[in-house]
Amino acid sequence: MKRQFLTGHEVAVLACIDAGATHMFGYPITPGTEILTNWIHHTQKNKALEYLQTEDEIAAGFAVCGAVMAGEKTFTATAGPGTVLMQDALSMADGMRLPFVCIVAQRGGPSSGTVIYSQQEVNLAIHGGNGEGMRLVYSPSTVQELYDMTRKTFNGAWKYRFPSVVLTDGFLLKTRQDVVLNTDYPNVEAEPLVHEKEYKHIRNIYTVEEELYEVLQEHKRDFDAMAKEVADYEAYKTEDAEVVIVAHGIVGAATKAAVDMLRESGKKVGLFRPKTLSPFPAEALNNLAEHCPSLCIVESSMGQLRDLVKQALTVSAEIHGLYKPAVGIDVEEIVSFIQENYQ
Amino acid sequence: MKNILLSGDGGQGVQLIAKILCSVAFDAEQHVTSIPNYGLEQRGGVSLNFIQIDEAPIVYPKFKTADLLLILSPQARERTIQFVGDNTIVIDIADYAEVIKEAQVPRRSQNIFFLGVLTTVLEKENIGITKDAVLILLENMLSKKAGWEENKKSFEAGLHMNLS
Repeated sequence: MKRQFLTGHEVAVLACIDAGATHMFGYPITPGTEILTNWIHHTQKNKALEYLQTEDEIAAGFAVCGAVMAGEKTFTATAGPGTVLMQDALSMADGMRLPFVCIVAQRGGPSSGTVIYSQQEVNLAIHGGNGEGMRLVYSPSTVQELYDMTRKTFNGAWKYRFPSVVLTDGFLLKTRQDVVLNTDYPNVEAEPLVHEKEYKHIRNIYTVEEELYEVLQEHKRDFDAMAKEVADYEAYKTEDAEVVIVAHGIVGAATKAAVDMLRESGKKVGLFRPKTLSPFPAEALNNLAEHCPSLCIVESSMGQLRDLVKQALTVSAEIHGLYKPAVGIDVEEIVSFIQENYQ
Repeated sequence: MKNILLSGDGGQGVQLIAKILCSVAFDAEQHVTSIPNYGLEQRGGVSLNFIQIDEAPIVYPKFKTADLLLILSPQARERTIQFVGDNTIVIDIADYAEVIKEAQVPRRSQNIFFLGVLTTVLEKENIGITKDAVLILLENMLSKKAGWEENKKSFEAGLHMNLS
């Protein structure tokens, strides 16, 4: 395996190509623009790859819906207000169970906010549609994970037929880093949802309430079955922990380093990091909270991860948190917070 | 020396010298992360690059305190004051006004002059950054572009700064 010096954008695009993606539909928006420009760069060299820069995110999203129905591995990438616009198509994909893949580069909000970083699009990624939020959402914390989870997102989308999101941010995407990518990964093949000359009614609208109710029950059964196979997490130094920090994405990486520093000073601290925010690894969290009921949430939002944790918990736990919407959280800051609040 | 923060106004070439330093360290088998940070402006806003170079793998690309800080403008100074610690080495363009004038460093080559200054500091740190390696890369990147002679002279002028 070759040592390379790559940005997160470049790694994400490599993962899409290795996953077998052939088309990208997108509209540029910081900090996700370079996914589109890097993909375009690859299309110049590889004639099997196609792209279309659409007039907005709504058009990009519906183009993905159409292309996946024709059996093309397709994706889009967006950020912030673009993720808001993308909900229209994503919600259709929720209803029609389309293998819709979207890379979301979180930026500060609300509205245009700031252009590089936040963890404020968790709710939007999971619950942005006018439905029940049955989506597969991965949250990578390192460049290698960005690669792995992009591959898994394509596989999950095409295997389980739920819209699937790689939820990342401008820090991870813009960071250029030395990496040795492990690219050895099997692909789930794409196939047309409707074959040529075939008539098939894939619905996103119903005239009878009870009919939709039955369909949603089926979706829920499928989602719960998928959860058993894909819900994923990292538990780091939690065996004897007296406090467990819960963090995701790049904040999870900072927390891991903070745990090591705190352990050196004798604090029994661990990390629980959900790799899938949806489905959430609820069983693992509850098992952990049973022997360590002191949880500290660390996130670059005002509590979007905390709400997922509270929803997942069936055992009682004391929850505190370091909530810093739209700004990065440094290792030293996490260390200080734990030292000050957990004597 | 692990945490390096480069700052200036957009258009001053901060991202270019970050790219050069990181590439040289990467070629020397160091672990490297580099994360640019800037606002909405294409030019004129504060442009930052957070660099970490280490023998050990790096888990998080940002940091709270810089070991080495380059400041190329007044607004960059204001923006980066929060990253200055007790042991931070600060290279501030305001302290080099006379030298830049004497060495006749043109405005467009000031980033390359400071690349020379940074190289002098970093060469002592054993993190793979050497004058020769930086010059070779600089030559590969810029020698066919306009203003190469000025850039080369500016780099060499930066190398001659005594920062002890």
